Amino acid sequence: MSTISEITETLDRWTRRWRWQRAITWSLRGFSIGLFVILATALIGLYQANLLRNEFLILVISASLFFPFAAGAIAFLYPILPIRAARHFDLLFHLEERISTALELQQPQKNPIPQEMIQRQLEDAVAASKTVYIKRRLSLHVRLREVIPALVLITALGVLWFRGDDWFKASQLARDVEMEVAQQQADVEKMIEEINSNQALSDEQKQALTQPLQEAMQSLQENPSLENSVSVLTRTGEKLQSLSNPQSQQTQQALTQAGSEIAQQKNSPMQSVGNELAQGNYVSAASQLENIDLNNLNPAEQKQLADQLDELADSLSSTNPKLADELSQAANSIRSGDMTTAQQALSNAAKSLSQAGQQITFSQMASQSAAQIQNGAREVLAAGGSQQTASTGQGHTPGEGSSNSGGSGSGSGNDAGNPQSGDEAGSSPIPQDNGPGDGGETAYEQIYAPSLLGGEGGPDVNLPNSGNGEGDVIGQGPVTPGNPGSSLVPYSEVYAEYEQINNQAIENGEIPPQFIQIIKNYFDSLKP
Amino acid sequence: MTTLSIDQFQEHAKRIESEISKVIVGQAEVMRHVLVSILSGGHVLLEGVPGLGKTMLIRTLGEALDLKFSRIQFTPDLMPADILGTEILTDENGRREFRFRPGPLFANLVLADEINRATPKTQSALLEAMQEGSVTVAQQTYKLTEPFFVMATQNPLEMEGTYPLPEAQLDRFFFKVNVDLPDAKDMVEILDRTTGKETPSAGKAASGEEIVQMREVARAVPIASHVKEYIANLVLATHPNNPHASPLVKKYVRYGVSPRGGQALVLGGKVTALLNGRYNVAFDDIHAVAPAALRHRLLLNFDGLAEGIKADDVIDELTREVKIPA
Repeated sequence: MSTISEITETLDRWTRRWRWQRAITWSLRGFSIGLFVILATALIGLYQANLLRNEFLILVISASLFFPFAAGAIAFLYPILPIRAARHFDLLFHLEERISTALELQQPQKNPIPQEMIQRQLEDAVAASKTVYIKRRLSLHVRLREVIPALVLITALGVLWFRGDDWFKASQLARDVEMEVAQQQADVEKMIEEINSNQALSDEQKQALTQPLQEAMQSLQENPSLENSVSVLTRTGEKLQSLSNPQSQQTQQALTQAGSEIAQQKNSPMQSVGNELAQGNYVSAASQLENIDLNNLNPAEQKQLADQLDELADSLSSTNPKLADELSQAANSIRSGDMTTAQQALSNAAKSLSQAGQQITFSQMASQSAAQIQNGAREVLAAGGSQQTASTGQGHTPGEGSSNSGGSGSGSGNDAGNPQSGDEAGSSPIPQDNGPGDGGETAYEQIYAPSLLGGEGGPDVNLPNSGNGEGDVIGQGPVTPGNPGSSLVPYSEVYAEYEQINNQAIENGEIPPQFIQIIKNYFDSLKP
Repeated sequence: MTTLSIDQFQEHAKRIESEISKVIVGQAEVMRHVLVSILSGGHVLLEGVPGLGKTMLIRTLGEALDLKFSRIQFTPDLMPADILGTEILTDENGRREFRFRPGPLFANLVLADEINRATPKTQSALLEAMQEGSVTVAQQTYKLTEPFFVMATQNPLEMEGTYPLPEAQLDRFFFKVNVDLPDAKDMVEILDRTTGKETPSAGKAASGEEIVQMREVARAVPIASHVKEYIANLVLATHPNNPHASPLVKKYVRYGVSPRGGQALVLGGKVTALLNGRYNVAFDDIHAVAPAALRHRLLLNFDGLAEGIKADDVIDELTREVKIPA
């Protein structure tokens, strides 16, 4: 006599096999889903230039492992009620609802069913279940319709991997720029901290120095793109550079030099002051200068002090006349024996020295910060430089210029990796009788100016007559006027015109401050 | 009353089919539906052109079932009293009184031949008998003997002088069976059997009491809950205002199947299962009886009728479209 346990055992066996079949099917579906997710992610990532090749590979490997496993495990472990399984197998094996009815008959029925009918039905169900050869009817197999999407997606990913070089390169460059901008942000933050911790600067000076830096920080955070970053850093560098005073630098040099010389005079009253000046400790030097007690000095020492003060005053006469006057006044008072006036003059000189020291420190900080920021701008540009190259190609187009006045010139852009110099320099000669060849240089965007002019070597500009012909040269050609007599327009006439253009550019702020003097010198050298 | 075993049920059913087959050639599906209807305790409406053996089938069934059989030829002048019976004045020992004389309806198997030729009044006289199994005459109710089956026939071609059955009466028929022309092979067999010297006849296969017991056995066949759910969905899907109704239903059906249709599917499915040697109702059983159980309960609208849509088309679509519950 058949029992319900025969049905449940058979059902368990079928269900287990069904779970494996589901696991296989869903693993394949999970694989396809994973590949689709990867493809979508990769396309979005590459469209946003934010996915590197190795990241893509990691993504492919991890997703193609995780998704099939997760989908297969979920499918295998997904709870299947016995009655649901019975209904499924009834339909699948054409058992005409025998198994599900047999299972239901084990539950209490609303309408009582005779035991004979229940037993007959059970035996019929068991007999029917025995006709099913499960390994054949529920074979573990992979359907072609499940495989095709996976194959299509694998092909698409393969195409992306082997044919997506440009996209991956663009992503790499974008990532480099991003990292470089982040580095610059960190550097700017560090600069702000250094400025704020500098005791030699007043609060106003700190404020003046940190404000452009903080503005730059904010702008970099808001828009860390290559163009904006370079532009912001360049502008900030210019602002900081404008805060530095060239006279302070000269004053510093004068003070250092004078301080070194005084320091060498052993046992002199100013020796300690000289030491401090030589080391750049201006506030300390000022304090020691103020503390010199003239009344404790013997006449020889007083004379030596007066000489040293004069020496110091002489060295500062051109850069800090006020301090020089006060030092001379003190020296004169000492020589005249008016110690009270001399002491007062020394005190005044010490105050001026302290102020000069503060100004020097401020100027130094501004200059250093400007240099760092501009260097940062170059580094960001260098990080994105290849990006430009990738999109525009190598810049090796030589430029040529000719002159109707007999002078001839040729320019060559040969700075590999710098599209501005390669693509633009020398590509379009100025169509005027301008005597010497101009190298064909065309106008450039201001934000790329540091790179164009300075290249990677720093702020130095290789002028046409001083270039070494490697990399940074943006135009080459004879800079001297053409042969006398062969020019159609007199050199003196065109010079004024170009000088005016230069002056106009300087006034409009189109020339970076650090290049103004260089350009000015260049025009001076051309002056007829 | 002794209870019939399942084996006896199947034995009797087989014998009935066998006996009928001696007389009726082909028409296996019609025979099966009629038998299912009888074993479910329902009435059958047979529709077909004249000469296809409808009357012969029912008469043979009467012979095979050893039941009291009566045939009523419906005509326009047929009155209700002609079929129900009437009270007549009798004189017995000088005592005169009205006594009820039962009409032809007082039989086990009633053949209502060409039922649509009678007036609605007469057709309605069948209503109480078919539904309640009793008739009321002169305020007196008379119980009809069990089993009681009405087997009606109608001709779909001749519309003149006919009175189509009202919906309420159609709904009381358990099945409506369409009788089609036999194929050539069956036709040859029919010609052989009916033009020879001997006329075949059916022997007794089951008694009325056994039919009643077979009905009880059939009702005990279990039906799984999801099969019942499917039947309910199928019935509801025939209503055009049901959200799960198919496009064909929405477009061409005026009114869907009543719950009686669902009952017919369940009972018909149970009998079909047993006749097929199975002890539970399968979807295949439901699909087998669905056209006969639903076609006369599905009312097509004007568009459906005008475009020649048949109720069977709608039912066929529904059996394919309605989802089997998981």
